[in-house]
Amino acid sequence: MRRSKAVSLLIFLAAIPATLWLGMRLEGRWYYLTCTLVIIETMLPFFLAFETRKPQARELVLLAVMCALAVASRVVVLIPNFKPTTAIIMLTGIALGPEAGFMTGAIGAFASNFFFGQGPWTPWQMMAYGFGGFLAGIVFHGKKRPKPVLLAVYGFFMILLVVGPLLDCCTLFTTGSRLTWRFAATVFSLGFFYNLKHALACAVTMLLAGKPLLEKLERLVKKYGMMDARKER
Amino acid sequence: MASDAFSNCHPATNAVFFAGAIGFTVVLQHPLYIAASCVAGATYYLLLKGRRGMGMVLGLIPVFAVLSLVNPLFNTYGQRVLFTVWGNPYTLEALCYGMAIAGMFAAMMLWFGCYSAVLTSDKFICLFGRLIPAISLLLVMVLRMIPNLQRRARQILGARAAIGKGISGAAGTKEKVAGGMRVLSALTDWALEGGIVTGDSMRSRGYGSGKRTSFRLYRMTVQDWALMAAFAALAAATILAGGTEAAYTPTLSIAAPGWGLAAYGLYLLLPSMLHGKETLQWFISISKI
Repeated sequence: MRRSKAVSLLIFLAAIPATLWLGMRLEGRWYYLTCTLVIIETMLPFFLAFETRKPQARELVLLAVMCALAVASRVVVLIPNFKPTTAIIMLTGIALGPEAGFMTGAIGAFASNFFFGQGPWTPWQMMAYGFGGFLAGIVFHGKKRPKPVLLAVYGFFMILLVVGPLLDCCTLFTTGSRLTWRFAATVFSLGFFYNLKHALACAVTMLLAGKPLLEKLERLVKKYGMMDARKER
Repeated sequence: MASDAFSNCHPATNAVFFAGAIGFTVVLQHPLYIAASCVAGATYYLLLKGRRGMGMVLGLIPVFAVLSLVNPLFNTYGQRVLFTVWGNPYTLEALCYGMAIAGMFAAMMLWFGCYSAVLTSDKFICLFGRLIPAISLLLVMVLRMIPNLQRRARQILGARAAIGKGISGAAGTKEKVAGGMRVLSALTDWALEGGIVTGDSMRSRGYGSGKRTSFRLYRMTVQDWALMAAFAALAAATILAGGTEAAYTPTLSIAAPGWGLAAYGLYLLLPSMLHGKETLQWFISISKI
């Protein structure tokens, strides 16, 4: 436990500033590489903490199920581009905690790209979805179960303002010759409509399936005492 | 795809090659280096995918054109003004820069396409299985469960259709969404219950009670070491030879390429050459029979 914390601290205090410093000093198009490296370095402590804690079999399987469910859920609704994925990731974060939300988002994004093709977007997707699950856990985990309407509003704005723009950043960094405000505004406004669709799908899923899914997960946690083990330790 | 020689190499060799190829492609903005990367990437992609790969390669041409033409709208630096758009100058230098960026983007897409085909999930797990055992196991389970859950979702849809609750293509958006959410709910129950059984089964078989061993299909051969050495030498030559500097705006200044370009080209073409060599050997061995 202690060693992983030391390594995480080292990453945040030394590796990330060093990467940024190096990236700023080099001329040319190093910003995509710099940003991607920073993103990977930001994710490392989460993975490290998960790994060193030696998760139990039940916990591993539960996380795997939620990841797979998030990815597979796109075949459930017969409307193209209606993806309940993000809503499921956020619900996992709410029911099982921020760390579980992060792992579900990041691993889910990584695994789904084995089917849809890895690309320059992979680290950004892992970060965006992982962060979405993590934040939802920070805000709602361990409190009274939030109302579906609140969840829907939260999910809608979270995607529109945080998850979506994070995904657009990848487009911004890979296709622009010079980072200008005008170019950034164009990329974000082009992405806005896509994000709006994504956010609406999330809000609808939260509204209709938020309560049953949370109930199922909470029941599981209560019945089998999952995810509590590490609090006792 | 199994017939590709480089794909049969050790995953570490593949990972080293792609790290170098994608890293160089993202960073080097000299036009000739970009062209080399595009050509080598397209060659290897077509060798891997055969005729089916043509769609992707041809599809990148309009992407290239759009990105090249759009970029100068946002980058107004440069001296030779071609015309003005909405009061902003559209310069030749910015157009060249746009083409370079578009070329880099196309090359990157090609190399990532090759990466996805060569470094499959089993190879990724072979590489990282010992370093991060829990996350690798999680990934393996997720990769198995995704098709599994999709199949189950279709089963649930079919079962609902059989009791008259099916969703036809003509159904309204509201019905589709509401029906989909019911399926999602049922699928969640099914998957979670199954997960608990799997977890208990794993525990009773001793998961977590000792150090995990891992199954490995690949072994570092002499060829792998030779390839690794060649990659290292050629990458070093590319960096040390220089001649990779190129600036587009405000004025074009492109360094004359030296032998570094040859080293870079050779680096990128090694997997394709390996593929060619194996094919040649195959035909020679056939003609002997």
